[in-house]
Amino acid sequence: MMERAEILVGAVDDLPTIPVVATQVIQMLDDHNVSVEEIADLMLTDQVMTARVMKLINSPIYRPANEITSLKRALVYLGLRHIRELALTTSVISAFDADSGAIELNSFWEHSFGVGMVSKIIAKKVGYEDLEKAYIAGIIHDLGEVFLSNYMREPFQEVLDRIKNHPIRLVDAEAELLGTTHCEIGLCIARKWNFPDVYCEVISFHHNPAEAQIDPVLCAIVNLSDLFCTVRELNYSGRQWISFNLGEEDAWNILKNESPALAKLDVERFCYELDDAIPDVKDLVSSIFNASEQVKS
Amino acid sequence: MAISDKDFEQLRDFIYNLCGMYFHTTKKYFLESRLTRRMEATGAKTCQDYYLLLKSPRGSEELKYLMDEITTNETYFFRNVPQLTALETKLLPEIVETKNKMGFRKLRIWSAASSSGEEAYTMAMILLEKRATLLKDWIIEIVGTDINETVIAQAKEGVYNAYSVRNIPDLYKRKYIREDNGKFILSPEVKKFVTFNKLNLYEDSKMIFMKSFDFIFCANVLIYFDTASKSKVVQHFYNNLQPYGYFFVGQSESLHGVNDKFKTVHFTGGFGYKK
Repeated sequence: MMERAEILVGAVDDLPTIPVVATQVIQMLDDHNVSVEEIADLMLTDQVMTARVMKLINSPIYRPANEITSLKRALVYLGLRHIRELALTTSVISAFDADSGAIELNSFWEHSFGVGMVSKIIAKKVGYEDLEKAYIAGIIHDLGEVFLSNYMREPFQEVLDRIKNHPIRLVDAEAELLGTTHCEIGLCIARKWNFPDVYCEVISFHHNPAEAQIDPVLCAIVNLSDLFCTVRELNYSGRQWISFNLGEEDAWNILKNESPALAKLDVERFCYELDDAIPDVKDLVSSIFNASEQVKS
Repeated sequence: MAISDKDFEQLRDFIYNLCGMYFHTTKKYFLESRLTRRMEATGAKTCQDYYLLLKSPRGSEELKYLMDEITTNETYFFRNVPQLTALETKLLPEIVETKNKMGFRKLRIWSAASSSGEEAYTMAMILLEKRATLLKDWIIEIVGTDINETVIAQAKEGVYNAYSVRNIPDLYKRKYIREDNGKFILSPEVKKFVTFNKLNLYEDSKMIFMKSFDFIFCANVLIYFDTASKSKVVQHFYNNLQPYGYFFVGQSESLHGVNDKFKTVHFTGGFGYKK
């Protein structure tokens, strides 16, 4: 099925590219002597990206004590190791911001940022070492969906119609009707964009974390987070009906191995708190997509 | 009276830990108005005073009053839509398949705090709708129980007000509800599937006879019980279910720490407990 995904992605001539500045920032970060000033100067040449970075840094996810209004301060606050990830996220947002597909873009990003936020919370609970990585992995996990929605609009609409009000998983319906899945499509795009391997793996294995090689724990975090968001109203406006028995999920067992204390998690309360956080996620998404304000250097 | 976020969270945690009921942030204004009444009644001047009162030896009594204020006893048809959707979409077909394999064509459902009968009758309507298909030739038994005889009598009568029936989808309303002078009368076709009895959930000797259910519903009752009683009652429910059965509580309730045998099954918009 991977071949089919490669053919489909290869056939699209006008596949969005990630902004030049993002690529340059990512390359620049490979040079260990680079300074925050140099990165900031480069990023400021892309105002949309800068504005989105500022929105993200001041979002409830990062929670600075006081609002950060300058890009340089934002980058210092984040630390160089996270700038790469922020550049990656903001560029994915920029690459897919045309709302013309089978799924509504706003609800797509609400789901994505919701999964990012919940991934970060689960990562913290299981003692995963890099919370921002979990956050970014959550945001980009469904990348392939936007491709299917924008470039295979009609067949993808058929998939959506097939699962509406039926207990069929989206990924299974995709495999059956399209001969590939959003996981495989996402992987092709992520490779084209030279995403780090660990993110490629999350995109590819977020529905079957037990098969991951590089970082199964990260894949399990995103998988579980995706499941919780899908049952708690961050579900692309009710696109698919799913159910799961937590104890039978590979992700849950992977994470319990990692952190046995997880078995005691008050899952019910976790769900109710997630409900409470949904307005924050929606506000964040709408603020990122209206991120046109000018920012100071 | 407005309460601060900090006071709200403190009170929410207190109520959750004691009763297993979670107050969503969207319900803050509601809690505020109810709390104001209790504060006036008890003479508590600030939210902190009231919180300390709840934690004091007199607290358990006051908590009952507070719970009465915050759990409006009203019930209505088609109340918990995500639960009903899960039942129709997945859980009922799953149980029907299991029982078909065993050649056992009987479905038993228990509404364990049936009040005036809306929950039990909602189930009856949904199942009745499947009599020609999924449940062809099946025996359906729905039992509603409550401790209060007045509400049992109302349930048996099957006459409702506009508020009770407002959520019934048109398809069902047309078939099973007749309006007469502002009253909404339930069709005998639905009523015949349901029996109502008085039952005290505390009474072990009676609880052990409630056997072999496929689904048990018990919404907004366990919140009134202390943890030990809650554990005991939930254990009865567990025992009273078929090995593949499901148990459901109300929309903001939690069984965390009450029973570790049930498995949590999540579905779009809610969760239930599987034996």
